[in-house]
Amino acid sequence: MMFERIKNQLRALGCDTYELTEKTVTAWEFYFIRHRLDQNRSSRVKTFEVKLYRPLEGGMLGSASGVISPTASDAEVETALKNIFYQASLVKNPTYTLTDHEVPLYKFRPVDVEAIAEQFLRAMQAVPETETERINSYEIFVREIQKSFENSCGVRYSVVYPSSMIEVVVNAKKDGHEIELYRNFTSGVCDPEKLTRDVTAALRYGKDRLLAQPTPKLSKADVVFSTADAVSIYEYFGARMSAGLLYRKLSDWTVGQPIASYSTGDRITVFAAANLDNSSHSFPIDEEGALIRERYLIRDGVAENTWGSRQMSQYLGVSDSSLVHNFVVSGGTADAETLHAGEYLELVEFSDFQVDPVGGDLLGEIRLGYWHHDGKVDIITGGSVSGTMQDAIPSMRFSKETEQYDTVVIPKETRLYGLTITGIV
Amino acid sequence: MKAPFSAYLNGIVPWVRQLIDALGAHYDYVSVLSTDSVGFTIAMSQRSKSVTNTNMTTERGNVVRVCRGGLYSEYAFNEIDATPAETAGRIRAALDQQLSLLQKTASKVYDTPALLDEPCELFVEKETERLPETEDVEALVAFLQGLSDRGMQAIPSALDCSARVMSTHICKLFLTKNRFLRQSYVYTEGSMAAFAPNEAGEMKTAYDGVSGLGGPEIIEQLNGVLEKLPKQMEDLLGSGKIVPGEYEIITDPGITGLIAHEAFGHGVEMDMFVKERALGAEYIGKRVGSDLVTMHEGALCADSVTSFAFDDEGTLAGDVTEIDRGILKTGICDALSALRLGTAPTGNGKRENFAHKVYTRMTNTMFDSGADSVDDMIASIKHGYLLSGTESGMEDPKHWGIQCIISRGYEIRDGKLTGKVVSPVIMTGYVPDLLGNVSMASPDRVVEGNGGCGKGYKEWVKVADGGPYLKTKARLG
Repeated sequence: MMFERIKNQLRALGCDTYELTEKTVTAWEFYFIRHRLDQNRSSRVKTFEVKLYRPLEGGMLGSASGVISPTASDAEVETALKNIFYQASLVKNPTYTLTDHEVPLYKFRPVDVEAIAEQFLRAMQAVPETETERINSYEIFVREIQKSFENSCGVRYSVVYPSSMIEVVVNAKKDGHEIELYRNFTSGVCDPEKLTRDVTAALRYGKDRLLAQPTPKLSKADVVFSTADAVSIYEYFGARMSAGLLYRKLSDWTVGQPIASYSTGDRITVFAAANLDNSSHSFPIDEEGALIRERYLIRDGVAENTWGSRQMSQYLGVSDSSLVHNFVVSGGTADAETLHAGEYLELVEFSDFQVDPVGGDLLGEIRLGYWHHDGKVDIITGGSVSGTMQDAIPSMRFSKETEQYDTVVIPKETRLYGLTITGIV
Repeated sequence: MKAPFSAYLNGIVPWVRQLIDALGAHYDYVSVLSTDSVGFTIAMSQRSKSVTNTNMTTERGNVVRVCRGGLYSEYAFNEIDATPAETAGRIRAALDQQLSLLQKTASKVYDTPALLDEPCELFVEKETERLPETEDVEALVAFLQGLSDRGMQAIPSALDCSARVMSTHICKLFLTKNRFLRQSYVYTEGSMAAFAPNEAGEMKTAYDGVSGLGGPEIIEQLNGVLEKLPKQMEDLLGSGKIVPGEYEIITDPGITGLIAHEAFGHGVEMDMFVKERALGAEYIGKRVGSDLVTMHEGALCADSVTSFAFDDEGTLAGDVTEIDRGILKTGICDALSALRLGTAPTGNGKRENFAHKVYTRMTNTMFDSGADSVDDMIASIKHGYLLSGTESGMEDPKHWGIQCIISRGYEIRDGKLTGKVVSPVIMTGYVPDLLGNVSMASPDRVVEGNGGCGKGYKEWVKVADGGPYLKTKARLG
């Protein structure tokens, strides 16, 4: 009904180019301290997103967007649309076209929010805890997201999908000293086995952190990444092939060219996927009404395709691109012997490991790691790791085996050579 | 002018009162927070331009909080399409469905008393020169495009230069049987970023911003940012990598604010005390910094992007002295955590928006000023760095570790700036060491409120922080 109200107003305004999206999020949330319920929350929130376009002089296209509340009065809707349509005349971008290919009618099952929530509740109750390693707190978020889209070219679609998140904090203690580790898992629905496995691993790391000694002053070291922090490393590759960064010249990678001067490293392959099993963003159509284009972004170290919005893609001369939410990185050629050869630091916990997709800097404070040297393994904590992706890519090695972290599949282990380590002792 | 309170919210007051009455028959406590905050985001660069009527704090919706038998529950919605009695029925049904699942799974409840519903009536409309909803967007677009154009001229190697503004007129209504609170205020923030490759082809980003309590008039301060950007980019393009180690450092007010935020902002959020996740709980009354360290937290501490009159639980804004001359005095607290800890709430219960839960969150987190000049600080350093340019930070309340990622470090040798710049810099350390080594503080003090703050990796809210230049020691890499 709101769509009709909006379209009636747009006709009155003389606006004939638009995109409309109705989004309804139904959420169940449970917050626990230890295993006692702090609070339960339920919500149902609906929004109407509007993007209006108008042709401008000199081959330019104006556009502006906004959100309209479901409680907006007719007068408020009229004012909001008038303002957005006027503002579209001020935003002068080179022209581009909206999606005009019809998409197949997909059928989606409603999401059983209650059943997913029950799985999370039972899975967390079943995590094996000990006297010294236990769950501090957890927050469960289960959502059903319904989206309906239509544009002025006649493209219409609806999707319904689940999107879940659980934040878990675990404690470990020894001799009066207690530490904590933080986890934030996202997924489509609850995978109880994986959740139990991941939380149990966190409890094990917590136990190790109690035994950790200050990181030595290594200056330089090879680093093996074997946990979710490695996602940031691989997201760098996807981001560098996005039309947004390429058009703005913030990525200098070129389709058809190698992304680096490779030396001894594994050549990376990144595939853009529409659907990924139990991803929190698994659907076949993007937010602009285009079928998600499944394709290689990088194959064997050579840039192959870009991905992104229609606007940025068309500026690059790519007419059949789409937005993408899921990425699959192929396994490499390195076996365990290669990845674990000689001296190396295996870093498994950071305060906040980051890789800058524009500058390529990688940085993070070390919360837990294992220093493999001289035939022994020291558990370490503190200090930081730093380096750049530009320096790391030519020699970077990664495992054949892969692991899924929600919307991405990446190699299970990744070794970066010669990173800077700021140690403590 | 006064920022006028939302006519929409005034219009729904009778409906909300009836909803509270309808729910009141079934619950020990009922409150409703209703919001109607309008604003915009405008971004201009050489390659991309956009205008939208949304940003991170625009919203319109309602959240009902109820308590029964020691359990707090909430229901958030943004459609009003039924009578108050019918809506109350829907809310009860939705929450009862969750309770059935909790009973089925034998989940235990954290038993908490009902909040005191002390009578209070408040109506606040704060001053602003302009309003986002009536702003001349055409003039703003031209101004921001002009900044981008001038930035490109001033930085010949720049590949792009963007200028961005966000402004929001916040209106919130908080109602219980005995409390009737309404507030209206405007905040605005803006930023500029320029991008240029160095000789090795590595992209460098020069960035700075402005923010404050008030309307889009604040954006005129971006002219000052534009003046600083070329020098910042020159510094970044000529920068090298730091030799890892422990150094004497001087933090500019932005980095001082980042330390305040990460160290004793998150570190004393008292919902973390309830969960036994914060070391701070064990250090109340103990030394955590040098005598030069005094720190305040509260919406009343400064006029900034988060200087509200009451928080999202209907607690009036405060000004808490967290650290007094090095001694940790207290933390900040939302209302439910205060009940559980047997203390008083401090006006720090905040939501990302009406659809999100309340947590204890920061407002203005500030170090007090000192009496030392920056020149004297530089002169006192044998080998160290002046740190400038906030990129990000991360707290570790359980162990008081700190991670700050900083854009630039300016080398100091033998009491003088050498002109050598390192970038980026990761500062890590143990908070009591970092604050315990504070040996000088400047008289000037700045509060900054660009961007957002998350709780872990979610729940983004506006915060502000700041302080003077500080001299201390830290590990840099």
